[in-house]
Amino acid sequence: MKTDISKILIVEDLVKCYGTGENMVRAVDHTSLEIERGKFTAIVGRSGSGKSTLLHLIGGLDRPDAGKVRIEGKDIFALKDERLAEFRRKKIGFVFQDYNLIPSLNVWENIVLPLGLDNRKVRRQDVEEVLVKIGLADKAEAMPNVLSGGQKQRTAIARALITRPALILADEPTGNLDSQTELEVISLMKSCVTDFGQTLVMITHDEMIAQMADRVIEIMDGKVVND
Amino acid sequence: MKMTTRVAFDNMKYHRSRNILIGTAIILTTMLLFVVPTVGKGMVDLQFAATNRLYPAWHALYRNVDENTVRKLAAHHDITRYGLRGDAGYMNLEEASAAMLYVDQEAMELYKWNLMEGNMPVKEDEIAVSEGILDELGQQGDIGDTVKVPYQIFRGGELDLTQQKEFRICGFLKDSKESREKRTYIALVSEDFLRNEIPKEEIAFRFLLQIDDTGDPTTDEIEQKIRDIAVRFGIPENDININHDYLEANYVDPVFIPAIIVIMAVIMLAGVITIYSIYYVSMNHRIQEFGRMKAIGATKRQIRQIVLREGMCIAAFAVPAGLLAGTLVSGVVLKIFVTASETNSGYVKMIKEILEAGEINIYSWWEYLLAAAVTVCTVYFSLVRPMHVAAKVSEVEAMRMQDAGRKSKSRRKGYEYLTIGRLVCRNLAEDKKKSVITVLAMAATGVFLMIVATVLSCADPRESADGSVLGQYEIFSDIEENNKEHPERKWSEVQKDNPLNETLMKQVENLPGVEGVDVFSSLHVSGEPFMEEDMNFLNGVPEKYAGELEKNIVKGKVTYEELKSGDKVVADRALLFHYPDLDVGDRLKLTVHDGDRTFEKEFEIAAIGQYGSGLTNYEYLIMAKEAVDQMSEYNSSKFFHVFADKDYDSKLHEALKEIADASGRIELRTWKEDYELWKSSQAVIGAACYIFLGILAVISVLNLVNTMINSVRVRKKELGMIQAIGMSDSQLMKMLQLEGLFYTMGTLFISVGLGSLAGYPVFLYAKNQGLFEISAYHYPVKVAVIVAVALLLVQLLLAAGISRSVRKDSIIERIRFSD
Repeated sequence: MKTDISKILIVEDLVKCYGTGENMVRAVDHTSLEIERGKFTAIVGRSGSGKSTLLHLIGGLDRPDAGKVRIEGKDIFALKDERLAEFRRKKIGFVFQDYNLIPSLNVWENIVLPLGLDNRKVRRQDVEEVLVKIGLADKAEAMPNVLSGGQKQRTAIARALITRPALILADEPTGNLDSQTELEVISLMKSCVTDFGQTLVMITHDEMIAQMADRVIEIMDGKVVND
Repeated sequence: MKMTTRVAFDNMKYHRSRNILIGTAIILTTMLLFVVPTVGKGMVDLQFAATNRLYPAWHALYRNVDENTVRKLAAHHDITRYGLRGDAGYMNLEEASAAMLYVDQEAMELYKWNLMEGNMPVKEDEIAVSEGILDELGQQGDIGDTVKVPYQIFRGGELDLTQQKEFRICGFLKDSKESREKRTYIALVSEDFLRNEIPKEEIAFRFLLQIDDTGDPTTDEIEQKIRDIAVRFGIPENDININHDYLEANYVDPVFIPAIIVIMAVIMLAGVITIYSIYYVSMNHRIQEFGRMKAIGATKRQIRQIVLREGMCIAAFAVPAGLLAGTLVSGVVLKIFVTASETNSGYVKMIKEILEAGEINIYSWWEYLLAAAVTVCTVYFSLVRPMHVAAKVSEVEAMRMQDAGRKSKSRRKGYEYLTIGRLVCRNLAEDKKKSVITVLAMAATGVFLMIVATVLSCADPRESADGSVLGQYEIFSDIEENNKEHPERKWSEVQKDNPLNETLMKQVENLPGVEGVDVFSSLHVSGEPFMEEDMNFLNGVPEKYAGELEKNIVKGKVTYEELKSGDKVVADRALLFHYPDLDVGDRLKLTVHDGDRTFEKEFEIAAIGQYGSGLTNYEYLIMAKEAVDQMSEYNSSKFFHVFADKDYDSKLHEALKEIADASGRIELRTWKEDYELWKSSQAVIGAACYIFLGILAVISVLNLVNTMINSVRVRKKELGMIQAIGMSDSQLMKMLQLEGLFYTMGTLFISVGLGSLAGYPVFLYAKNQGLFEISAYHYPVKVAVIVAVALLLVQLLLAAGISRSVRKDSIIERIRFSD
């Protein structure tokens, strides 16, 4: 199959069900979509519409019942778990709603963790640059328990950026933040897309954020209803 | 059901995996607490039962008691039971001997003699005989038949001329194997016969008695009473015979109970450490749970009750299971103990018989009650601190974050870059106390195991036998110092006509396989500071042993040359147990007994040494053989140590036995017998110790299981998170392995390190106490390796199992996980 290099992500007829029999729920129901490189795409939908499941499948955190996900032309579910983990740490950066920082590591260590897992050298300068960019240059040695919500999320963003992944997946990254901080975080993420040419796919149910995106995809009952 | 109990019960079900671990620890603890006293008591009961079967039941007997004294003794309030025996005389048989005794019914019972059939003799011409006696008499007969018996009566202290009389057989006694072999028999005659044959004033009874034992007197107290009564009735010391075997078997050895208590305390400690540490490790994780309860109104007391009852709910299931397991295990262990003993003496056979016949009930209600009570206390002690911690939780802090109550730093210098190893260090450092408690709890058992292993590895049957017997065979005179019936067996008497002479020596040296004979001489000494009844000897050690003698001196200094002077001795350390005041430089003024000759001589204790019983022969004043021989006018050779080309050669043994049997005055001991005895006893003790320690080890390994499972449970979300950002399964596995390795290496380092260090002084103590004749230190390499391998294996399996169970959930399920 010929690969269109402008499409960083191609989702083909993706299906994911939970439960069995009467309790079976189609969280993702024959969904297909394509996302272009270097764009900020927002996925919106009501609670329970299947948008988080879709994002997790795109990120290879879960395996689908049917369908394919291609990132830079690679069918990620054809990879074994071990290879998929490697692929994930090289190509994808995750940002979650509840930050998910490692409590025993300080800010610096949390940021360089993906590099360590990939046995990559840490360039001090790169990390310092990222710290400046997220505005936590003076908090490199701080432990996560003393950071504010916004600081935690900015650290999580830095962690997602440090490996320079092609694709950043964010699952309601501002869901736990006040509106002022929310704006800061979204601006930060957007600037990364423009500065480093990365692709950002973000789940949100915030209309204002959706409007900042290059493209908005609406999901309902596991299907794309509006693009 | 009360609210607290309800919650506790639900908690128990909810925290199932942790409670299964605690339950297992409680089951094993209960089992050990039951097995140790049950097997201990079972062994003692079996020995008592065997002793009661094999030995007569009288506490003492007084000889040469006249009728008048018998009447008075019978009325004494301290004597609860008595029987009479009167010796009428002997049958006149050629090679064999058959005593004719009058024994009353009580004495029959106290002697544990039974008639196989028929009745006790009552009429003057009635007699009870055995098949053996009829064979010796060359006659046949059944009950009611008559036999002609030639006999000699005791009159005036000697046997009178032979008479002949026709007796009517009224009963039959059973011949023992020994009596058939030795051809010594017993026939019972009537009281009328005794009185008709012996004048009243010459009748001397043996008065068999049992002392009142209400209030559980010790053996010493009973013996004192026996002597006091004898003094009051003018019975001389010579005429008292105390049944030590029976007394010792029936009245408890005071060392037994403290030993059992110490072992149970060790088990309890291991149980407390394990259960406490399992609770401690998982308590942080449950802080939020208790915080919530407090927030909705639970009081401190209620929280404490919930924690306590949860523990007790587990105990309610685990204790009965432990008792059941203990019941099965103790039966098996007791059987192994009894059947493992390779010695086939009558005593051991009797113990086996009693056990197999199930005549002894080894289980009693108090053992169950004791084990259950001690376990419940163990659980309670383990819960005191967790109860306190749970009750202290602040509701707000607890609700705000999971790890409330833990002081965490706000800043910390970190690594510039991370590796899996560094990630592990961070995880472990996150809760140092938990990591340290886990390691220490396991290491406590490990250290104990290494100490016991050191002692056991030093107990080498070959070395023990080398220590207790010099050479492969030992020939020595049949000596009895304190038997007033056989004064000819005293050493000073034997010396005058010593069977261990040049001729014997030549005879032995010429046997094929014999490489040499070492002769040890000996002289009896008495006087201050030694007690009168204590036998002490000068031990003349040949020059060949000069090196060993000098090497093993622990205090003072003396050369073998100096010991040749006859004025200096080396005291064996064992003597100091009895006479702790003795020291180097002391001068002993002793009376030397040499045949009929006695003389005073002063000896200086020039040194104190520590030697095997093979060298000392339990004669603790050691000097040069030359010096002892010079002091004696007789032949004072007491031991021939025969060195042969093989450890054991049945032909040589047979030849030496023939020599011993022909002499009738010398006895033979072999290195092999000692070796076999050491081997079997060390194997049984070693197996028992290792089984016991193995179970303790399993209890403490439960700690590791808990800590690792718990550390993964708590971090389930975190681990999912790390995997989401790219940690592969193999990296996760590696991380868990490394974490486990820290516990394993920590435990190993402390167990093997501290255990080896602590093992050495314990070895020295065991050596000083003469335990297993331990002489040389052997590091327990095997055990150290086994412990290391087992621990590593457990940890590898555990990490593999845990990482597999983690991977069962998808990453996304883990990220969403919240407890």
